Amino acid sequence: MLGKLKEKLGSFVERVSQTEISEKDVENALWDLEIELLEADVALETVEELKERIKEKLVGQKVKIGTNKKAIVENAVREAVLEVLTPEKRIDLIELIRSKGEKPFVIAFVGFNGSGKTTTIAKLAHWLKKNGLGVVIAASDTFRAGAIEQVEEHAKRVGVKVIKHSYGADPAAVAYDAIQHAKARNIDVVLIDTAGRNELNRNLMDEMKKIARVTNPDLVIFVGDSLAGNSVVEQAKQFNEAVKIDGVILTKLDADARGGAALSISHAIGAPILFVGVGQGYDDLRPFDEKWFVERIFGE
Amino acid sequence: KLGKALNSALKKLARSKTVDEATIKEVVRDIQRALIQADVNVRLVLQLTKTIEKRALEEEPPAGASKKEHIIQIVYEELTKFLGKEAKPLEIKEKPTVLLTVGIQGSGKTTSVAKLARHLQKRGYKVGVVCSDTWRPGAYYQLKQLLEPYGIEVSGDPEEKDAVKLAYEGVEYFRGKDVDVIIVDSAGRHKEESGLIEEMRQISQAIKPHEVILVIDGTIGQQAYNQALAFKEATPIGSIIVTKLDGSAKGGGALSAVAATGAPIKFIGVGERIDDLEAFDPKRFVSRLLGMGDI
Repeated sequence: MLGKLKEKLGSFVERVSQTEISEKDVENALWDLEIELLEADVALETVEELKERIKEKLVGQKVKIGTNKKAIVENAVREAVLEVLTPEKRIDLIELIRSKGEKPFVIAFVGFNGSGKTTTIAKLAHWLKKNGLGVVIAASDTFRAGAIEQVEEHAKRVGVKVIKHSYGADPAAVAYDAIQHAKARNIDVVLIDTAGRNELNRNLMDEMKKIARVTNPDLVIFVGDSLAGNSVVEQAKQFNEAVKIDGVILTKLDADARGGAALSISHAIGAPILFVGVGQGYDDLRPFDEKWFVERIFGE
Repeated sequence: KLGKALNSALKKLARSKTVDEATIKEVVRDIQRALIQADVNVRLVLQLTKTIEKRALEEEPPAGASKKEHIIQIVYEELTKFLGKEAKPLEIKEKPTVLLTVGIQGSGKTTSVAKLARHLQKRGYKVGVVCSDTWRPGAYYQLKQLLEPYGIEVSGDPEEKDAVKLAYEGVEYFRGKDVDVIIVDSAGRHKEESGLIEEMRQISQAIKPHEVILVIDGTIGQQAYNQALAFKEATPIGSIIVTKLDGSAKGGGALSAVAATGAPIKFIGVGERIDDLEAFDPKRFVSRLLGMGDI
């Protein structure tokens, strides 16, 4: 009897000492975090989405009186960011390559001009070789001046073969030849370098679709520049629409970039980030870890 | 999308009978969003819109203009003022005039050098181009392939590893060749690569350029300010070329670079072809930033 009263009294005290988190509380606490996210190059569109997620999580939630609401909101922001960055399914690249029955495993690289596709291909070729896999590169950027010489020099340095035609040749034909070459010599992986293209250029986007159609790649990797701002969202969306993107490599993270672009890209297309590029050396490729990344975005 | 948001905010303003403080604040917020989405530095946006808000609250519209028209006018004035109002052309006074281009990896220096060389050639100047990029494989071949069809000579050596030497000897070579303009291309670098920033300083000291041109990627985000500042501290930046403005990027990062360096934008790159270089027009650029089209 007495026990029951005590229980009731206890729950009453609990009830009055609680307060509800209002939309206003969240708005107030979010302002600084919003600026921080924007300064870390998370696109405005993505920031808005994150805010909605956070509001949904928190508004109406009951907390004890005297609790620091700002701290709760901060935690929720980190959680939401981690949610966006954590892929639905992870890709273990080596495992994926080994599990494919017949050789070669074909990877096509796509992206905007100057984002770092060719250098990234050289780094990945180096990484695959270190993991005991044979690699051949298709010089399918037959457009940009110096592109073929660039990829050849990289390939020479990391010790892999390049299949090339001349400038102006059909990029899809070059890639096709590289795949035939790999088949004939039992090479594990074909990496296809493609020309940088602007997401609004219909002809070049069609050309990219054709390369994908002809080569039927096992994996399409979007190479994104971590120094890029809001436009990276539109880029990722347009590329994903033209050829389904399976994974992302984020470059130039060593340029003091906080890397919010990773969040924008993940949010825009839902593909996992596989690696980040952290320098110009062939070993400067780092497997992606979302927890490390969240700390990086929120800075010191 | 945000251009639309901005327009609808301004329409809202037009519909309301009296323009009070709350309405102005709302419009200012929409302008902030448009600028941030265009990649203008966040702190710069807050600073700029503070001035805009203050003027909108304090100033009376001139006779015949509505409050709404007046606010649009203020936004334009403040942004174009920031960008230097009028276009500033590249001046070729001395013979030979030496230009050095610098910038982050992949921002489009080499292509811009070729575009600039062709631009000047079309205007009757004899141009020589020096490749001092010892880092990126294929850089020398890239310039040669771009410029040989126009008979513009490129000096360089893919085997040489000393960038300062390459730049110096290239400039000396063209000095003996009776050219009007010598353009020196350099390797891409960023502020964290102190060795490369130092190399850039040494190149600049060795060739004493009349103007150092910072080439900046139109898609660059919030890092633009700090990167541009680091370049300016190593070598005085005289002008800016903004590249890749043919895509969906609005080029707001360039505004941050202007703020950091105090240098004017002189050209914009609008495509991959050698002729895709335009003289900079502040008014059109501001329209683009605000997503409003030409007004």
